[in-house]
Amino acid sequence: MPAIECRNLSKYYGDVRGIEDVSFAVEDGEVFGFLGPNGAGKTTAIRTLLGFLSPTSGGATLLGRDATDPVESRRARERIGYLPGDPGLDRDRTAAAFLDHQAALRGESSRDELVGRFGLDESRRIGDLSRGNRQKVALVAAFMHHPDLLLLDEPTSGLDPLLQEEFAALVRERVEDGASVLLSSHVLGEVAALCDRVGVLREGHLVAVESVSDLRSRGGKQIRVRVAEEVDRADFEVRGIMNLRVGETVSFTWTGEYDALIDLLSRYTVLDLDVVDAPLEEAFMTFYDGDVPGPTGSGSGGTSGPDAAGSGAVDSGGEGR
Amino acid sequence: MSDRPAPWLAIARYDATGRARGSLVVTGLLSAFLLLFLAFFPSLSTAGIDLDAYVEAFPPAFREAFGIIAISSIEGFLAVEFYQFAWLLLVGLYLAYLAGGTIAGDVASGRMDLTLSAPVARRDVVIGRFLGLVPLVALLNVVLPVVAYVGVLAVGETIAVERLVAVHALAVPYHLTCVAVGIAVSTLVSRPGIAQRVALGALFALFMFESVVASTDYAEAGDLSPTAHYDPSAVLVLGEYDLTGAAVLLAATAVLVALAVVRFRRADLSG
Repeated sequence: MPAIECRNLSKYYGDVRGIEDVSFAVEDGEVFGFLGPNGAGKTTAIRTLLGFLSPTSGGATLLGRDATDPVESRRARERIGYLPGDPGLDRDRTAAAFLDHQAALRGESSRDELVGRFGLDESRRIGDLSRGNRQKVALVAAFMHHPDLLLLDEPTSGLDPLLQEEFAALVRERVEDGASVLLSSHVLGEVAALCDRVGVLREGHLVAVESVSDLRSRGGKQIRVRVAEEVDRADFEVRGIMNLRVGETVSFTWTGEYDALIDLLSRYTVLDLDVVDAPLEEAFMTFYDGDVPGPTGSGSGGTSGPDAAGSGAVDSGGEGR
Repeated sequence: MSDRPAPWLAIARYDATGRARGSLVVTGLLSAFLLLFLAFFPSLSTAGIDLDAYVEAFPPAFREAFGIIAISSIEGFLAVEFYQFAWLLLVGLYLAYLAGGTIAGDVASGRMDLTLSAPVARRDVVIGRFLGLVPLVALLNVVLPVVAYVGVLAVGETIAVERLVAVHALAVPYHLTCVAVGIAVSTLVSRPGIAQRVALGALFALFMFESVVASTDYAEAGDLSPTAHYDPSAVLVLGEYDLTGAAVLLAATAVLVALAVVRFRRADLSG
């Protein structure tokens, strides 16, 4: 039985499309990521699954129960944890009072452990907390009843890198304990570090469902390099480079093999070099719009890219599994 | 799981706790307001002015609106200066305004998402938010009769305790109706600020409507207004207790809350 099964789910707000004909399944014990820019429909999909919005058409099950039936949905929610993208917390109550209330509604078997782990001071008024600390409050509320299914909407927004790590570790532990996760993000790196598979949402449509290693390899790397020499733009217009910008620093998206990149840069005196996962927007521009010409956009060019970047994915994404 | 309270109770409790300080402040302010008016009474009653003749000269609609029967006795004075104005209008409007912000406010702020991601039925939310305002209604109607009684004694007058208790006991169904009006509006209007003003405006419009039609052939149409079923002047001055009115108000409260449940069950939470 899949943890989530979504069948041709559509939600329109009047004439405005939220999501359209979205179908996918999150298998038991799987971490599934929704990837897409803001406004792509990630939040609409999650809120429709939870019954906050009634679907215009289509249906879904959560933990085997009909998500569109209020009674069934409520039963399913006994075992669901939800972290909203922008959690609505009572600013004038203390974190303790708020969590007491949440505990009364859903249970709190691991509240103390989580509060300790994230170093949350429960006695503070929520309105006095920083954005990161408020996010911790919502995080504790989502995880404290040991749910079997976690729906996490942009979970790490507002968390500093250290806490993002702690959060990722927590998700992995829960998955090891048998939980399933649906996580949304517009940051490729976040999804890549945690998810097994990714559904790419664009303008309300699920345009692709892929394993993370495939998507990572196709997304490429964002390179920013500063060199001592004068740069001729033509020198960088080679296979594997996209979105090239030449200025004080040279920046581009690299989808080729690392060795080729190193060969290319070895002609210069490199003063500064930055290699990060390409931001999702660039990956979209490159691979999902189809109108950006690039040597690896399709066909044979793509074959060399995935191998090279795929090996990189094993390093950083390895702990995700 | 079994040691968790019923969701509606948990929601009501959390809501009431959050309002505790505000409720005490409002109770304190209204108590001060009452005592301030009472302090005027001795100078008024000894001034030798025929106040009853003075209010007789008011237009009938005005007398109807403010339930003016007699003003020279302490009962009449309290009814006109405090209960008709503060208890019927001010507190009624305030409760409708507060309740108007509840569900709409939760939806708009995203708090409702967190509540409903727990195994909570939408019905529980509506009932819980309604009950969350009941302690405020109870507090006001328990503290103020005591303050009024002590205040009356302090200015050297006496008042029938029974009537004072009755004017507050009968205020409870009326105040609950005001809360229910706000709750119902809160499920109909999505923006909390607007919902609050609509709830307040609706109640005020009903009050005006009742006052205006009272002296016409359509006086019965005024029964639509909750304010038609609670008459502090009749209670305090004449000792007339409108139990039918109280029953009508309780029934109206139940209907309004039920309507809110039906409406909220179908609503999209467009936060």
